[in-house]
Formats: sequence, structure tokens, C-alpha cells
Amino acid sequence: MDQRRRILEATAELVAEQGFQATTIEMIVRRAKVGYATFYKSFEDKEAAFLALLDEAVEQLTGRVKEAYDREPEWPDKVAAGLGAMFEVIAANPNVARACLVEASTAGPEATRRQEGAMKQFAPLLKPGRELNPRRDQLPDTLEDTLMGGVMWVVNQRLVGNETAKLRELLPETLEFVLRPYVGEEKAAAEAGALTGAS
Amino acid sequence: MASEELGPLPAGRHGFSREQVEHNQRERLIAGLATAVAEHGYNAVTITHITKAARVSRRVFYANFESKEECFLAAFEVVAGYVRELAAEAAAEEGDWAHRAIAAARAVLSFFAEEPDLARLCLVESTSAGPAVASRFRAAIDEVEPFLAEGRKERGNAERELPESTEASVLGALVSLASRRVGAGDAERLPELLPDFAEFILAPYLGAAEAARLTREAA
Repeated sequence: MDQRRRILEATAELVAEQGFQATTIEMIVRRAKVGYATFYKSFEDKEAAFLALLDEAVEQLTGRVKEAYDREPEWPDKVAAGLGAMFEVIAANPNVARACLVEASTAGPEATRRQEGAMKQFAPLLKPGRELNPRRDQLPDTLEDTLMGGVMWVVNQRLVGNETAKLRELLPETLEFVLRPYVGEEKAAAEAGALTGAS
Repeated sequence: MASEELGPLPAGRHGFSREQVEHNQRERLIAGLATAVAEHGYNAVTITHITKAARVSRRVFYANFESKEECFLAAFEVVAGYVRELAAEAAAEEGDWAHRAIAAARAVLSFFAEEPDLARLCLVESTSAGPAVASRFRAAIDEVEPFLAEGRKERGNAERELPESTEASVLGALVSLASRRVGAGDAERLPELLPDFAEFILAPYLGAAEAARLTREAA
């Protein structure tokens, strides 16, 4: 593993364990088993290392979600696939997920801005669902961002409780939550049920 | 809660007991923290900012709190307790669950609209103030879950149970909606979100049509 990668992984672990403020460069270089000079060759300071970690994580997450979403022809299946990919990426990288989803808001305004920007990328994937709702003109403009807020809230609960293994069980429930405002409870529950049957 | 409401501490031989003065100093520090955090943000705020806003000495600060984090937690508790009381009082005025839920949401949104500094403290700064504060913030939101879950009884003999995470998802969604407003400096416009709040809260339990009807009635 190259040294930059080791630094990013150590940063993810430490921030996940104890938060951004309590993490020091000394801890990072020790955990990464690199020298200070190596750290400063790649990053100006702790925040820069964290932002690099965040950017990479966001790129991986949004990339995987969009890829899974694009593969399905029908909108509800697109959402199911996208959400499934999101939960998989998170479950496979619990430290990175905890650092970037739970702790990012404690790492300063730039990290908060980038994290919020990342979440905004998911809204356009949900919007086509409006076409399926006969009351679409009454849906609030904020619906998609708000739904993503609900999804991230329950995901964060699992991350904070070190229950990433439970993300799999959460997926059908979360899919139902996201689909319901667009297609109604019955169809949303049917889509969620199909997911449970398939896994 | 605003610091302007606090006059100077009575000096010299006053009628207050030592305990009352100390209690008062603690309250001033909490109000001072709210003012200072509104101005500087939690991460940049210093104990000097807080004691200046509270017009007390550093010694008094350290007699009451070990750190700015502890002072922040105390401030959060005071506001959270107050908001909980407001919501419970508003709910108690109404009869059925749906109207109680709407009344509680209205009370919370109005309070934070009138107290934008406290809205920022509770909904924006608390998520950036480090793990201990963030965990207290999540716990305060989790405490609302049972109240929402009462809505499950409204489903009567619905054939299926709602997913277990319904309440958490709904609350998380509402928190993110309100926090975005407050973070953008639009706290005073929070009451405009009442229809979104009402519909989001009611729809899982009463269905979209009934939720929309009650939301129109509440507007």
C-alpha cells in the first residue's frame, strides 16, 4: 500500500474512533507508520488529509450509486439498486463511512460544505419518481433532500452504534421510506418486499 | 434566554442567597454561551467570549463548567428541555394524535423562529461541536420517537406493520429540513415548513390523502 493511502486510512480510523478535533497529526503518522515529512509532502495539515479522504469517499459512493442506478430500466428498481449500492459501500468501509458521514460536520465549514454537496447529488436520482404521483404538483420542492436526510439519519444511527451489519436489514425499510411519497405505501412496500425476497 | 434580559448581578449586600447567585451565574453563562456561539460558531468560540457575553469572571466560569463543551451541553439541555415542554403543552390542547402532532410541530417551529440564535445552537452547532454533543443531540431527537410511534394506533386494522425505522427516518428527515433552513440563516422562516412537517409526520400513519387534508386544515 502506498504511503498516501496509509495516511488516509489512518485518518479514517482515528476520526471514526475519536472524532476529528481529538485526532492529531502525530496520531496519524504513528498509525500510518510514516514520518512527518511524508505526511507534509502529501498534505498541508490535518484538515487537508481529511478533505482528501472525504473527496475520495464521496467519489466512490456517488460513482457506485449512479452505476447501479443506471443499470436498471424502471425507476423504482433504479432507486432500489442505488440505495443497495450505497448501503454496500458503507457496510464495506465502516471507518471511512463513520468519518465522512458522522464526523465530517465537526471538521470545519469546508468539510461540511463538501459533504452537503455530495448529498445533493442524490436528489436528481429521486426526482423522476414525481411523475408516478398523481398529486405531483403538491409535493414540496425540498422532498428529495429531506428524504435523503432521513436516510442518512438512520444510517448514521447504525454507524454510531457500530451496527453496520444491520444495514442489510435496514435496506428494505429505507427503500419503502424513500419510495412511499412517490408511489404510495402499497407499491413501496411491495418493492421493499421484493428486495427482501431477493436477498 | 437572550442575554439582554439579564441585568447586572446585584452587588454587595443583596437579598439573594449564595445558592441563588450561583444558579443565576450558571444561567448567565448559558445565555452568554448562546450569544457567543451565535456570533463566532462553536469551534471558534473561546471561554473569554462566553464570560464577556455573560459579564462574569473566568473564575465563575470554571466554578460552573470544566470546559466550553460542558457549558454547551448545559445550554443544549436547557433549550431541549424548554422545547420539550412547549411541545407537550401545545399537544395537550388538542384531542387526537394527528392534531397533537401538528400542534407540537407548530410550537417547536415558532419557538426556533423567534429564537434564531438558539435554533442555530441546537440544530446546526450541536452537530459540529464534537462527538459528545452530537451524541446528546441524537439522543434528544430519538426521545421524540415514542410520541410519533403513537400514530401507529391510528392505522387501525391495517394489514401490515410499518417498518421499525419509520419514526427515525421521519425525524431525521425533518431535522435535516429544519437544519438546512437554520444553517442558511433562515430560522425566522421555519414556520413556513409547517405544512411539510405535518404531511411528513402524518402520511405514514394516516395515508397520503388524509395527511394532505389535515395539512390543508392546519395551514
